[in-house]
Amino acid sequence: MTSAVTIPRHGGTGGRTAVAARARQVVKAYGAGETRVVALDHVDVDIARGQFTAIMGPSGSGKSTLMHCLAGLDTVSSGQIYLDETEITGLKDKKLTKLRRDRIGFIFQAYNLLPTLNALENITLPMDIAGRKPDKQWLGRVVDTVGLSDRLRHRPTQLSGGQQQRVAVARALAARPEIIFGDEPTGNLDSRAGAEVLGFLRRSVDELGQTIVMVTHDPVAASYADRVLYLADGRIVDEMHKPTADAVLDRMKDFDARGRTS
Amino acid sequence: MTVLKTSMRNFFAHKGRMALSAIAVLLSVAFVCGTLVFTDTMNTTFDKLFAVTASDVTVSPKAAKSDDTPQNGVPESLPASVLQRARTAEGVKSAEGGVSSMNVTVVNSHNDNMGSSTGAPTIAGNWTSNDLRSMEITSGHAPRGPTEVMVDADTADKHHLKMGDELRTIAQTGDFKARIVGIATFKVTNPGAAVVYFDTATAQRELLGATGRFTQIGITAAAGVSDTQLKQNMAQALGTGTYKLQTAKENADENRKGVGAFMNVIKYAMLGFAGIAFLVGIFLIINTFSMLVAQRTREIGLMRAIGSSRKQVNRSVLVEATLLGVVGSALGVGAGVGIAVGLMKLMGSMGMDLSTRDLTVKWTTPLAGMLLGIVVTVLAAYLPARRAGKVSPMAALRDAGTPADGRAGWVRALIGLVLTGAGGAALYAAASAKKATDGSGMLGLGVVLSLIGFVVIGPLLAGGVVRVISAVLLRAFGPVGRMAERNALRNPRRTGATGAALMIGLALVACLSVVGSSMVASATGELDKSVGADFIVQGKQRIVPQAEKAMEQTPGLAHVTRYKQLDATLTSPDGQKDTDGLTAADPSYAQDLRRATTAGTLTAAYGTDAMSVGSKYAKKHGVHVGDTLSVAFKGGATARLKVAAITDDDVAIDQGARYTSIATMKKYLPAGKIPPNVIMFAKARDGQEKQAYAALKTALKPYPQYEVRDQTDYKQELKDQIGQLLNMVYGLLALAIIVAILGVVNTLALSVVERTREIGLMRAIGLSRRQLRRMIRMESVVIALFGALLGLGLGMGWGATAQKLLALEGLKTLEVPWPTIIGVFIGSAFVGLFAALIPAFRAGRMNVLNAIATE
Repeated sequence: MTSAVTIPRHGGTGGRTAVAARARQVVKAYGAGETRVVALDHVDVDIARGQFTAIMGPSGSGKSTLMHCLAGLDTVSSGQIYLDETEITGLKDKKLTKLRRDRIGFIFQAYNLLPTLNALENITLPMDIAGRKPDKQWLGRVVDTVGLSDRLRHRPTQLSGGQQQRVAVARALAARPEIIFGDEPTGNLDSRAGAEVLGFLRRSVDELGQTIVMVTHDPVAASYADRVLYLADGRIVDEMHKPTADAVLDRMKDFDARGRTS
Repeated sequence: MTVLKTSMRNFFAHKGRMALSAIAVLLSVAFVCGTLVFTDTMNTTFDKLFAVTASDVTVSPKAAKSDDTPQNGVPESLPASVLQRARTAEGVKSAEGGVSSMNVTVVNSHNDNMGSSTGAPTIAGNWTSNDLRSMEITSGHAPRGPTEVMVDADTADKHHLKMGDELRTIAQTGDFKARIVGIATFKVTNPGAAVVYFDTATAQRELLGATGRFTQIGITAAAGVSDTQLKQNMAQALGTGTYKLQTAKENADENRKGVGAFMNVIKYAMLGFAGIAFLVGIFLIINTFSMLVAQRTREIGLMRAIGSSRKQVNRSVLVEATLLGVVGSALGVGAGVGIAVGLMKLMGSMGMDLSTRDLTVKWTTPLAGMLLGIVVTVLAAYLPARRAGKVSPMAALRDAGTPADGRAGWVRALIGLVLTGAGGAALYAAASAKKATDGSGMLGLGVVLSLIGFVVIGPLLAGGVVRVISAVLLRAFGPVGRMAERNALRNPRRTGATGAALMIGLALVACLSVVGSSMVASATGELDKSVGADFIVQGKQRIVPQAEKAMEQTPGLAHVTRYKQLDATLTSPDGQKDTDGLTAADPSYAQDLRRATTAGTLTAAYGTDAMSVGSKYAKKHGVHVGDTLSVAFKGGATARLKVAAITDDDVAIDQGARYTSIATMKKYLPAGKIPPNVIMFAKARDGQEKQAYAALKTALKPYPQYEVRDQTDYKQELKDQIGQLLNMVYGLLALAIIVAILGVVNTLALSVVERTREIGLMRAIGLSRRQLRRMIRMESVVIALFGALLGLGLGMGWGATAQKLLALEGLKTLEVPWPTIIGVFIGSAFVGLFAALIPAFRAGRMNVLNAIATE
């Protein structure tokens, strides 16, 4: 099974498609000839709007590469990627930058924040860069949601790891992007802080209708998602809806065992 | 051994980050070596020249000096009988009587000066067999008879002289013309003197105004007779003490002394500027190593964790610094030779001939360059190395993101404030000094202390100053401007050091520009106030009688004033002697230069047997109007002159001058001892200024060595001269400023590397390349303006203090050259933009994914 195209392209949500992003026959290869390494091997995937999607897979499976390509951070060797109806493969840096700025939000594992800016400035940074005024009401709601109202004037160094990640989440949400990409957003946090951050992500999907794609190798983190995609050797090998941590873990073990015997 | 190996690996792994530091070392070392090679080469050139021109033994008049013409403008000479006696002395192979004068100007038929434009002398003399040692006749023949002249080939080339061209020689004793019959070429490099030769009789008659006299006798020793022996023989034959006797070596040494002193001034001035460049380079090196150590904190922590001692870590950084010093200095030594050759070419284009054949690289030059480069680099790296040694093993475990180094401690603040305060106090003391000599030490101290003080508190000032600059300049650029401001502020120590490097050069520029324009303003003010003469005539050669006559015969002039400086010994009533001499002028000088008197009237001082003295002298020796001074004229009689006026010494022109009339002087000095005028003045008849100026210029056209100027042109000339001098100094300071600019580039480049992750993050969340580049450029501009603001402020303070101090010497007007200051400030902003070009470009090209990829 190399396709995760399970959702019709046009749903019933007004003018907008039900698919926030999609990849078609995406190949990402490094090097050439003998040393050619294929990170993504003809991947087709649709990311459903208003859903929380987790991408899982062992190290080297290509999960981060897939996310980077979907987010317009990396280029593909062949195939197409669409954000909503816009094909982003082949876009020049200038357009891509603008696209990331206006339509995409990011949460990285660490070093998410600029040390010279305080929490609030970090949150509004993408809008500041774009020269847009943040929507005050929305900003207030986001800040309240992630519980940072009393920390807004703090510099990143004055915040705990969990608080820093919450600021990153707030930044990603504040600009109301079409889609948020998270790259192991809880990878550096202890389980309690991690659960907190994941809780916010879940709520932002449920309450704010946000689309989120998250790369993780943590079954517990994946269990917060609506749908889990499994990657191995650059292909999508499986998917799971409404996952639980145990189910995800079992599936992972399964892959591991299969990987060892084959 | 492992320490060395790690250091080597680190050094080569980070060679890109070291590159700019290496260039800074390279430039400074190259400038030092270039200076040494250049001055050594000049010395070699002169040594060779003097060695071939000196006879085995030279006999000259007792009073003769190699580089000076006596006050009456005619060289000292000795009678031909001495030559006869010399020829018959023991151990003499041959003896030749020489005639030479440097108080001449040679012009072609278009009245163009054939002399050097670089200040090298024009020498006229007789051609003897002794001259064959240094020259050979390459065209025509040696001069024979009163209308023949031979010139040196360099001069002939420079001025396109051909055989048969007529040359006019202007000497104290008159003008005379001769046609070129021969061209002689120097066998060694002649750095620029123009040389003309006549036959002996012509030279004697025209240059000395006498027959049967020589200016020196050159004696060649017989085989087997040493110079010292020959000198002894000559002393026996001519008597000791009557004449000056010199061996070839002594003669060359005397000649060299004059040149050597001049060369030393050049050498130390240039080394001074190299020193400033080094000083600036130190900041760059400190910044580089601080950043390398900060970036490597984890690595160093690991080394410590696995058992490296503090000392080893410390040493490993110093070893890296040594490597940097070695590489930079070695390249610098090589580049230095190139700089020396470049300087020689530059001199060549300005009319001074130097040959690369004489290129002199002493073994001490590379040694000095290497040593200096290495020592300075290691010293500069010492503080960062110590900081590296203090890194705890825990650093290996800590998750060190961007090193946060922001603290500028209160100890630093205190030290900086104390130093700055002390510097300010010293400057204040200098400004309020009563005597210029007392104040100059204070000024120097104040400059040094305030400079160090500013360097120390620089990081503290950075906060405030950067905020102010940003508020004015960057706020308009929104978030990009804000991030640039924050970046400039995040490490005040780094911003401070980078700015301080620029500050040093710009402070000197500001100081000198203030002093320079104050000089122009003061002199112009003084000229306007006191100079009544319409025209001023002066030149390199003192004014010869024929030019004086031409001036006196010019139509349209109300008066012409002669002005002579006399050697004389004054004895005041209190019995004190004073050898400062006096000034003899025509009474009309009182109109040409209006001077206030504190007692008596100046016109009375031009009466018979009268004189004036300056107020300082009068006060010091208790001289009053009506007192009589004993004046012993050099070469004349002793006069008793009555003081008729005391002039106010609070002036810049003629400060302390003592005036008497030319008529009085003539009573006591024989005609042959009366010196030519050093300067002459003239006043036009009312309403005829324009015509008179033109007529005077025409009258003096045959004498191109003299400049005729009216007041406007004189002021302009003064301004141009000071401007030229300043430009030269700015040119030399450019080295320090270039190193400082490299420092800004270095800081930005290393900051960009350090902030890779941040930049990646910003790019990921939508900062465009243009915005990123702009952010880096603006940070650069802010740092540059910070340095400029500090430097210009400090420099203007120094300049104002220097002016206050020099006011005692007549520098009365303080003038701040705002166009220059503002120009430099705006220029600094462009320097900032320029410095950011490459770092911004590289940041823009950075791969976003690599930047944000987690380890």
